[in-house]
Amino acid sequence: MNSPTESPLIQRPEDLDKLLVDDVNNGQFKVHRDLYRDPALFELELKHVFESNWVFLAHETQIPEPHDYLNVHIARQPVLIMRDGDGNLGAFLNICPHKGALVCQNESGNKKFHVCPYHGWTFNSAGENKLIKDREQGQYTADFDSLSHGLTRLASLENYRGFLFGSLNPDVEPLRDYLDGIHHFLDMIIDQSPDGAEVIPGRSYYTFDANWKMQLENCVDAYHLTSTHPSFMTITASRASGGSEFRNIDIADFVNPDVPAGNYTFRNGHNAIWIDGNPEVKPLYAQYDELVERVGKIKADLMMKTVNFTVFPNLQFSVNACIQMRVMKPLEVDKTEMRSFCVGPKGEPKELRKQRIHQFEDFFNPTGLATPDDSKVYESVQYGLAAHSASASGLGHERGIRNVIQGPDDYAIELGLNPATSSSGGSELQDETVFHASYREIVERMKSGIAQELDHAK
Amino acid sequence: MQNDQALTIGTDILHQQGRMLDEQRWDDWLNLFTDECEYWVPAWTSETRLTQDPDSEVSLIYYDLRSRLADRVWRVGSGQSVANDPMPRTCHFVSNINVDECSDSLIKLFSCFRVDYHVNKKSDAFFGHYHHELTPAADGNGWQISKQKIIMMNDYIPTMMDFYLV
Repeated sequence: MNSPTESPLIQRPEDLDKLLVDDVNNGQFKVHRDLYRDPALFELELKHVFESNWVFLAHETQIPEPHDYLNVHIARQPVLIMRDGDGNLGAFLNICPHKGALVCQNESGNKKFHVCPYHGWTFNSAGENKLIKDREQGQYTADFDSLSHGLTRLASLENYRGFLFGSLNPDVEPLRDYLDGIHHFLDMIIDQSPDGAEVIPGRSYYTFDANWKMQLENCVDAYHLTSTHPSFMTITASRASGGSEFRNIDIADFVNPDVPAGNYTFRNGHNAIWIDGNPEVKPLYAQYDELVERVGKIKADLMMKTVNFTVFPNLQFSVNACIQMRVMKPLEVDKTEMRSFCVGPKGEPKELRKQRIHQFEDFFNPTGLATPDDSKVYESVQYGLAAHSASASGLGHERGIRNVIQGPDDYAIELGLNPATSSSGGSELQDETVFHASYREIVERMKSGIAQELDHAK
Repeated sequence: MQNDQALTIGTDILHQQGRMLDEQRWDDWLNLFTDECEYWVPAWTSETRLTQDPDSEVSLIYYDLRSRLADRVWRVGSGQSVANDPMPRTCHFVSNINVDECSDSLIKLFSCFRVDYHVNKKSDAFFGHYHHELTPAADGNGWQISKQKIIMMNDYIPTMMDFYLV
C-alpha cells in the first residue's frame, strides 16, 4: 500500500493536528515550526496545496499573439502555455509523451510548431501531435495508432479577466467561485483602465534560501516595514524634502499612525490588507475623476489606497505607488523561486508609465532598495527555525488577535465584500491575524489529501 | 584622440572603478560619474532579449542622476539595511576592454566583467558585459563616466544584487 508520506510520523490526518493551535477566542494562534522546516510536510504541501487545486500561471498579456508561448510551472510540473493559430489559449505539460524530454526548451517566444529535440516528435501550438518521425517504419501496434499522442492538456485552465489559472486536478470548483472575495481586489487592478491591466516587459527572477511561506506572510505583514526597511524610509524622506522630480513610494504611506487600515481573510486561503495612503504619489491619481465616473467613488477610493493581497497559494500583489505582481514557486522546504513583474493599466500615458516603472524598480526589484532586505530576513528566520531547542511554535501570528471579528466590518460592507474575518483600526495595529486563513487552508488541504489517499488505499 | 590613448584612459577608469568598489571607497566611486550620468542594468525579457527602453520596460536598475546612485551608496553604509550587513567581500575583474569609438569629447568602451563575492559562508558571482561612455570631466581634470550600461548574464538572482556586485 502506498503511504501518504515517507515519514512514519505523518500517516493519518490527525498526525497534522500539532501543526496549528487555532483558538482565537482564547487569544491563541500558533503555527508549528515544522511547517517551515520538515521536508515531509513540504512534500505534502506541494501535493495537496499546489498540485491539487488552482494555481496562478500567467497573465494573458505575457502571450498576446497567435503561436506565442510561455513556460511556467505548477510546483514541480513544467507547464507550457500557448496560443494556437486562432489565438485560443491552451496549457499543457511541457513533457514529450515519447521519452519525457522538455518539448519546448525556452522561456517564451513564438512558434507554430514545437519539435522535441530528442526524437523529433512534433506538436503544433494547439498541443496536437503533427509528426511521429518514421512512423510508418516503426512497426507500431493498432493500439498505438489509436492514440493521438498530443501533449497532455492541463486538467483545468481558466481565465479570470486576463489572469490565467491552471490545475492538475479536473475536480476543482469553478475558478470564479475559487476566487470569491479576492476577485474584488483583482478587479481593482484590472478596472484601473477601461482596457484592463498588462504586465510590463522586463521581469526579475530570484531565489531565497527559505520556506515559501516567509513570502506568503511578508506581503501582508504591515508590522515589518519600519524595522526591516528603515534605509528605504530615510531615502524616500530625503528625496521628498529635496523636491526630486519623481517622488517614490513613501514608507510613511504604510505606517502613518493616524490613518485607517484593515484587513480581510477569505475562504480558500486568500487575504488582503489595506491602508489609507497618499493618493497623490500614485501615477493613477491623475485619472481619479475619470475613475470615479467609470467605477464609482467607492472602488476608485480603494484604488487610491495601499493594498496588498494574496491569491492563494502562489500569487501576490503589492499595490501602492505602483503595482507589483509576485509569483511564488516553492523549490525545497528551504528554497523558493520568485518571479516579479510590474503591472500597469493599459493605455497609460507615457510619462506616468515611466514614473510607475522607476518607482517599481526602486522598491520591488531584487536589485532595489527594499526587497533584498526582505529576502535576507527570510533566510535569517529560516536559519533560526532550524534550532530545535527553541519553542516548537513562534509568536508571530497573534498581534491583533483581540481585534479580529468574524464576517464583514463596515468598510467590507461598503465595498460589497463578504470576508471570513475582518480586522480594522489604526495603521499601527499592524495585524498578524491576516495570516490565519492561509495556514488553516494549508493544514486543511493536507489533512483532507491524506484522508482521501487512505480512503483510496482501502 | 588616438585609439591607444583612449584605451589607456578607459582601462584606468575601469580598473579604478573595480578597486574602489572592492575597497568600499564609495565617495571616490561616485566621483567617477558625471552629475547627469545614466546607470543602467537592463532586464532580460527572455533568454535572448534584453529590455531596450528604460522608460517603457522594467530594468533591474535604472538611474539618470548621480544623486540616485548616492542614495544607494548611503543605504549600504547606513547600518539600516540587513541586506548589507554583513557586507559581501567582492573582487571585481575587468577584461577584454575594446575602444568602440573615440574623440576628444567622447570615448565608448566595451568590456567584460566578473564580480566574485563571499558572504555568510557562501561564494557566488555575477558576470557580464559593460558598455561605457566617458566624457571629459567638468573640472577639466581627466575623464568621467557619463553612461554605464551593465548587461548581467546570470540574472537568476540568488537573494539579492546591488551596485557593488556588478
